[in-house]
Amino acid sequence: MSNYAHPEVLVEADWAKANIGKPGIKFVEVDVDTKAYEVGHIPGAVGFNWQTQLQDQVRRDIVSKEEFERLAGAAGISNGDTVILYGDNNNWFAAYAFWLFKLYGHKDVRLLNGGRVKWLAGADLPLTADKTEVKPTAYKASPADETLRAKLMDVIEIARSSAAARPSNLVDVRSPDEFSGKVIAPPGMTETAQRGGHVPGAASVPWAKAVNQDGTFKPLVELKQLYLEEAKLNPGKPTVAYCRIGERSSHTWFVLKYLLGLKDVRNYDGSWTEYGSVIGVPIER
Amino acid sequence: MNHQTRVYDNILEMLPSEENPSPLVRIGKMNPAPGFELYAKLEWLNPFGSIKDRAASAMITDLEERGELKHGESRESGRGIVEPTSGNTGISLAAMASAKGFAMRAVVPQKVPLEKRVLLRIAGADVDVINDQMCPSPGMGEGSIGIARSYAKAQKDHYVMPNQYENELNVQAHVRTTGPEIWRQTQGRVTHAFVSLGTAGTAMGLSKFLKAKNPAIKIIAVQPSEGHDVPGLRNKSELHVTKLFDEKQIDEILEIPFELAYTRALELCRTEGLFAGPSSGLIYEGARQVLLRDPKQVGVGVMMFCDNVFKYVSSMVKHIPGLGEE
Repeated sequence: MSNYAHPEVLVEADWAKANIGKPGIKFVEVDVDTKAYEVGHIPGAVGFNWQTQLQDQVRRDIVSKEEFERLAGAAGISNGDTVILYGDNNNWFAAYAFWLFKLYGHKDVRLLNGGRVKWLAGADLPLTADKTEVKPTAYKASPADETLRAKLMDVIEIARSSAAARPSNLVDVRSPDEFSGKVIAPPGMTETAQRGGHVPGAASVPWAKAVNQDGTFKPLVELKQLYLEEAKLNPGKPTVAYCRIGERSSHTWFVLKYLLGLKDVRNYDGSWTEYGSVIGVPIER
Repeated sequence: MNHQTRVYDNILEMLPSEENPSPLVRIGKMNPAPGFELYAKLEWLNPFGSIKDRAASAMITDLEERGELKHGESRESGRGIVEPTSGNTGISLAAMASAKGFAMRAVVPQKVPLEKRVLLRIAGADVDVINDQMCPSPGMGEGSIGIARSYAKAQKDHYVMPNQYENELNVQAHVRTTGPEIWRQTQGRVTHAFVSLGTAGTAMGLSKFLKAKNPAIKIIAVQPSEGHDVPGLRNKSELHVTKLFDEKQIDEILEIPFELAYTRALELCRTEGLFAGPSSGLIYEGARQVLLRDPKQVGVGVMMFCDNVFKYVSSMVKHIPGLGEE
């Protein structure tokens, strides 16, 4: 993994195992399936619930700076700690939490390569159902770094530009059926848009294409092939990733920014649920 | 135990074997090639209602023999079973575990119909329902398997996981029982076996046994179309979750629009009097397509009808307009 642009943001399972319980290292599990943490987690890890703790419970928005401070503080995280995030489904929501930690200025945050699935597969990697004892801290977040975020107007500007004048690359990380407009959202999802399709100019690269079957990230050469050769992203331009509600796209945001090393990558967390409901914006099918 | 009079000392003696095979029933009106003997093997007549009685029995017996299961002062304080299941394996395991005095926890995907989830509880299982279909994409689907694995790893004093997706006994069960039954019931004349793919245990076991007897026997697998809603079955894109699948053991895989699982099951009920569940409907459609290629062909085909329709009432209502009362 060392040839990634920023290998320091990934840790491997053996490193994680050797650092369980070390001062200054905090493990945080974030799963799609919010029950998973309770059933079993890395000893000493705390669990965040993406539904109730990582987004504002009233407005459609990320959790506020104050709420983030309360969350990190209650989890016993200090500003100087190394935070290791991991979770199920190829670190999907762990990557979303990574984006939030970076957005609120946490310096040393990393993903456990392979996430929960790889950890479960390792016979010598410990898992426990014991409750983690936490000593709360007074965590101080920075104001949200809005340069990591794309807004609706940015995306509309991309959509309305000609291919040559397009200010940014745009990556749609949803499934092919969502991209084509065959479905507005995967079956059973309640957060949907008014229309199906994709933003004009977007390249379709489903997010999970960036990972191997064992949950680890693909090697740099394959990621380059996927995003630069096949999807033809121009590394000289900024890049915006979007999905349906902004969580799958934070995984791709991580890959593009830290593994491929593209400059100025933003996550459009409004994503299709916002864009596909706006009157008058261009949509392609 | 007497298979003639069908008097047994306990329910486990009714498990299928060469001496006590599940029935083969010939398809009549719905057979598109009259010269071809097409049979349905009625696995729902196994004691716990499905083909999974075979693998579940093999796996639980093995765990017991190896001392992996332990009786405690209460059922919960011993060491029981945890298993990811779309229902049938769980129901068989739960019933057998209950009969033997062990606890059982089933981890099931949300799309498993309500009837099966309730049956699991009736059979004595604790049930965790997992939403692992949230945003389907390649490489996913670890939900129920991951949670079951977590129990087995984090609470190993309480749980052991038979793991039907990796346990070779899931294949062996069919080498020991299903294969010999079919061979004997058809007097060695079988030419085709039609199966579905879930864990791939049936397909692999039948292939192993039948092809050893006669390499010309064709193993035909059916799979539902992608994005399907047929519990227990897998499209090829989902088969990575099972370590048992080896495509080389299969002669042909037919992909069938999944809605046909439901309409063909209904037709089997109404035309043949066979109360077949949706996976049987899909398998029948696969056999029908193969026979329609040459309606004059002769041979002896056996379709594995995994379970009956009773567990799929809500799914049938969902997929067949006019069946419900609204």
